[in-house]
Amino acid sequence: MRGFKVVEARDANHAVALLAELAPSVKVLAGGTDLLVDFKHAPHAPEVVLDITRAEDLKGVSMTDAGLRIGALATHTDIMRSPLVRESLPALVDAAHTIGAVQTRNLGTLGGNLVTCVPSMDSGPTLVALEARVTVAGPGGRRELPLTEFFVGPRKTVLKPDELLVDIIIPKKNVGKPTDFLKFGLRKGQALALVNVASSLWVDPKKTFVEPRIALGAVAPTVIRAPEAEAYLEGKKITPEAMSEAGRIAAGEARPISDFRASAQYRRDLIAVLTRRTLENACARVQDVRPGGSK
Amino acid sequence: MTEVKMKLNGETRSASVPPETTLLKMLRESFNLTGAKLGCDVGDCGACTVLVDGMSVNACLMLANQVDGREVLTIEGLATVEYLHPVQEAFETFASLQCGFCGPGVIMSAKALLDENPDPTIPEIRDALSGNLCRCTGYTKMIEAIQDAARILRAKEHA
Amino acid sequence: MNDKLRVTEKELTQEALRDPTEALRVPVVTPPVPYPIETLVPEVRQQTPAVGQRATRPDGRLHGLGQTRYIDDLTFPGMLHAKIKRAGIASALIKRIDTSEAEAMPGVMAVLTGREIPVNSFGPSLQDQPVLCDERVFHAGDGVAAVAAVTEQIALEALEKIKVEYEPLPAVLDPLEAMKDDAPKVHPPASNIYSHKIIKKGDLEKGFAESDHIFEARFSTQMVEHVPLEPHASIGMWDSNGRLTVYSSLGRITLGRTDIARTLRLPINRVHVVATIVGGNFGGKNEITQEPVVALLAKKTGRPVKAVYSRGEEFTSSTTRHPIIMDYKTGVSRDGRILARQVKLYLDGGAYCSWSETTLGKACILSPGPYNIENVEAEAFVIYTNKTVTGAMRGFGAPQVCFAYESHMDDIAKALGIDPLEIRLRNAFSEGSISPTGQVLHSVVVRESLERAAERYGWQESQS
Ligand SMILES: Cc1cc2nc3c(=O)[nH]c(=O)nc-3n(C[C@H](O)[C@H](O)[C@H](O)COP(=O)(O)OP(=O)(O)OC[C@H]3O[C@@H](n4cnc5c(N)ncnc54)[C@H](O)[C@@H]3O)c2cc1C
Repeated sequence: MRGFKVVEARDANHAVALLAELAPSVKVLAGGTDLLVDFKHAPHAPEVVLDITRAEDLKGVSMTDAGLRIGALATHTDIMRSPLVRESLPALVDAAHTIGAVQTRNLGTLGGNLVTCVPSMDSGPTLVALEARVTVAGPGGRRELPLTEFFVGPRKTVLKPDELLVDIIIPKKNVGKPTDFLKFGLRKGQALALVNVASSLWVDPKKTFVEPRIALGAVAPTVIRAPEAEAYLEGKKITPEAMSEAGRIAAGEARPISDFRASAQYRRDLIAVLTRRTLENACARVQDVRPGGSK
Repeated sequence: MTEVKMKLNGETRSASVPPETTLLKMLRESFNLTGAKLGCDVGDCGACTVLVDGMSVNACLMLANQVDGREVLTIEGLATVEYLHPVQEAFETFASLQCGFCGPGVIMSAKALLDENPDPTIPEIRDALSGNLCRCTGYTKMIEAIQDAARILRAKEHA
Repeated sequence: MNDKLRVTEKELTQEALRDPTEALRVPVVTPPVPYPIETLVPEVRQQTPAVGQRATRPDGRLHGLGQTRYIDDLTFPGMLHAKIKRAGIASALIKRIDTSEAEAMPGVMAVLTGREIPVNSFGPSLQDQPVLCDERVFHAGDGVAAVAAVTEQIALEALEKIKVEYEPLPAVLDPLEAMKDDAPKVHPPASNIYSHKIIKKGDLEKGFAESDHIFEARFSTQMVEHVPLEPHASIGMWDSNGRLTVYSSLGRITLGRTDIARTLRLPINRVHVVATIVGGNFGGKNEITQEPVVALLAKKTGRPVKAVYSRGEEFTSSTTRHPIIMDYKTGVSRDGRILARQVKLYLDGGAYCSWSETTLGKACILSPGPYNIENVEAEAFVIYTNKTVTGAMRGFGAPQVCFAYESHMDDIAKALGIDPLEIRLRNAFSEGSISPTGQVLHSVVVRESLERAAERYGWQESQS
């Protein structure tokens, strides 16, 4: 790796202050599983790397008034081990579990995954299906925005060079919402998603879909929702046919590409199947959990 | 230069390295601990796996500075003066390694798994090894060895 | 498990810890098996006692302790690190190489270009590969210059400062295209077809004429890299009497020694090759790569020089498995007996010969499959293209043709409505069968193996 300086942030505010001072020739370092890989091949290194891994206030998972808060520095392993997440949103555990391998999950953070913003990111779909919001801190203070607005394009977010992603919040109303995530890669471990899908839904006493949310990954420049499929399901009776149809509609809403991993048509077929299966699995989870995360 | 002070294989050690130095480079070059290998340099192969505060990590994807004040365990710290670690013992008995290049990483991953889960199922072992590539032996004999080591460790626990 | 070893995971206290620099008290090598070892000499077709037994390896203990020294674990006082600049262009003339900026960099101790190599060609059968290209680039992974510096990073940064001016030439990337008369020549004036083999048995035309059905199909396989976990590496150093020692992760050291001596124009007795423990070979470490480069850089600097391939170089600049285009034409009787088979193989040879001749031979000999066929013609060509070198890899061409003839067999079985197992049993070699090259075969257990596998797998049940 090329030479650079390293500065360490004590906490989030310290990090923001350092960023203000050092931007734009500074890069934030969290788990390093994307950043250091990039550095090893990049023609240039930044002047300074801001190591935030010791900023305790950026870690952890907690329940707040706004909802379930996951610190940007929470590693994928932290998420898998969090009793709060395991109980109220097991789909987040499943999604984290599909990322890389143990070593990558022990280092890699949720924040890093969202900021790198590759279309195939495995933590994106579940959070989008749960209408997550993110907190961003910069020289002008903190702001909150929906995750879907945080994503701009492949490897591009709204973050400015002097801004920090602080946390990810799953709104209270969706904590405990039955959700499922599925990823299809060419292998089980260490493989990028050809397609990944998450669905969340409530079921009312008449056994119809309420607020179904479908998020698709690796099939458009960023993780996207499938609004037509969602609208189709809203208020519909839960039947296998409805779920299959929603899968077909979702496949039509995506813009997958052909590359050396798979053809666009193959990806469309995957969307249809994975959407149906995530809907089925989310329905099966309806008995498991109830709003608010209580059993 | 960055000063790094850590507990390395149980002893307090320190090194002075350029800030961009990876943990792997520091272990291999500053401490001559060459058990962790450089295989791919991008976190795919797991040949550089070591434990930091008990968690397995790719040493090629951490800066040396990030282990300052923490505990690092490498393959060289696993055996004691008198005894092999049960995983090392079992890997030998089951001939789980051929060329051996992936071995230190695999064994460290297995150690991290057994510390957390004394009685892993085969799927759990596979999951724990998914970040360690082996091109010679395949994984069957590694899995058998890890199950055997787990049995021994559990027996010790009860004794 | 050996229960007399009371293995404990002790607290990692300072006293209990083995200092890695201190001698181990745990013996590093397992005690040898007492001699004489009683072995059964198996009769032909008798199960050997080795099958089903667990073998332990004498090097297993050191491997598990992380104390096995692979080449990259070795350092020598004053050692420098070398890196090679890769062409990044498939076919071109080198007009000019300017190394002055690299040479002026602090920490850079020497730069080497192809023109400085005493005999700039090597290879296990044809010597068609330059150590570093001098006049012409043959594929994108070719080396064009090398740097030795005090750190690997400085060497890498110095490579960026080396300016190479190319005159691009048309590249040929498809073996079938490369066979055509008007195709650009990879090594002009030589033909792109650099080796050819033909095997004939019986009367092919008669066989096809007697057949009830004729099936034709084309199969192709892709290029495959060995991906040894340990990248290619070598260290070169000279003693004051002009003798060279090369440490290398090379598999075939005597061949490597010959090639090193030849490229450096040294008597072979001046070259000492130390084969280090190999961290995975699979055929990919069967010839020299950068050994002459480290040797010459060591000579220029008077210091030991080490070079290790990056993972990327493993893919672009080491050998790979041959992609083969395989045309099969098979005549069969109504009941599925193969009466005639014609095979044409087109091996993508990449930029240099490497072990292509061996691969060509083996692929050709094995291409008709383990079946009794009276009338056979198998013809194979290996063709230069401006691509990564193809060479030895596990099976030397056998896996590719096996994929083809077995896929072909399945297609034929399906078309004739015969069980895929049954069609193989009707045609399989048996004791005394004669191979296409006229070899009388013994200890043939194809049928037995197939039958036993089918039984264990539950083939019949799975078909119903
Ligand atoms: C072997 C391997 C396998 C992988 N497999 C997968 C996989 O299956 N699925 C998947 O989705 N990903 C995978 N990844 C990618 C990667 O592990 C994840 O994206 C990970 O979550 C990145 O987090 P990090 O903490 O390591 O980020 P870093 O590498 O530290 O940072 C990534 C980027 O985010 C910025 N950044 C990080 N945190 C913040 C913050 N709080 N505020 C502002 N900017 C920030 C950094 O500046 C950098 O640009 C894999 C990576 C490797 C090496």
